[in-house]
Amino acid sequence: MLVLTRKMGEVVTIGDQIRIKVVEMKGNQVRLGIDAPTDMRIYREEIYLKVQRENQMAASWNLEDLQKAVNYLGAGDKE
Amino acid sequence: MNVTTTRFGELTVEESKIMVMPEGMLGFEETRFILLTPQSLAPFCWFQAVDNPELAFVVVDTQSCITDYSVKLTAEEYEKLGLSDSAEVVFLAVVTMAADPFEITVNLQGPIAINPERMLAKQIVLEGGKYTTRHLFFDPAMKGAVTAQQKAPRDRAVESLSASNS
Repeated sequence: MLVLTRKMGEVVTIGDQIRIKVVEMKGNQVRLGIDAPTDMRIYREEIYLKVQRENQMAASWNLEDLQKAVNYLGAGDKE
Repeated sequence: MNVTTTRFGELTVEESKIMVMPEGMLGFEETRFILLTPQSLAPFCWFQAVDNPELAFVVVDTQSCITDYSVKLTAEEYEKLGLSDSAEVVFLAVVTMAADPFEITVNLQGPIAINPERMLAKQIVLEGGKYTTRHLFFDPAMKGAVTAQQKAPRDRAVESLSASNS
């Protein structure tokens, strides 16, 4: 991994289109300002992990619960 | 071809109905899936791994969760899905089932985008704000009342992806 030291207000550029600037440092938090093409997905890593975890949970389902949900929808239908 | 599934037994599906997901679902390695849409389980569908009998997800059309659900795909995503500019994209949300229907959630932050023409799929991750990974399927504000879009028949685009219509 490339490790760079930056001071407040300093920038790292990646390729021609991405600039990452240190905009605030407070305690153990660093706020980063990112200039990148609007068309690019940028997200905090936790979100990626959250989706991954949700997938894991979603994969362990049983037919009984699914049937229950379907029945519930059906019951709503008749009202 | 034959697909063995833990929950639904042995299925015979047409090769053309197999969706390829080169990057798989996040956290899983499987790359070939089929979508099954039994009428008895509507509006839910089920997304079954072709090469792993145990791996299946319950999914729903994102339109039956939120009427104005919209995701803007990036150029890279367009390319990975083999989409042309005007092509139609189907978005499915992964459902996290629960014993209590009111606890059932849908993952609107990590939808599965599908190009029906090429049968290519990719799970997209969206930065926070608009959608969450745990959107309640039955709206608690409406005391879990069933909405019209939940009762509506599945979208034709979704049906067209189905490997079985039984």
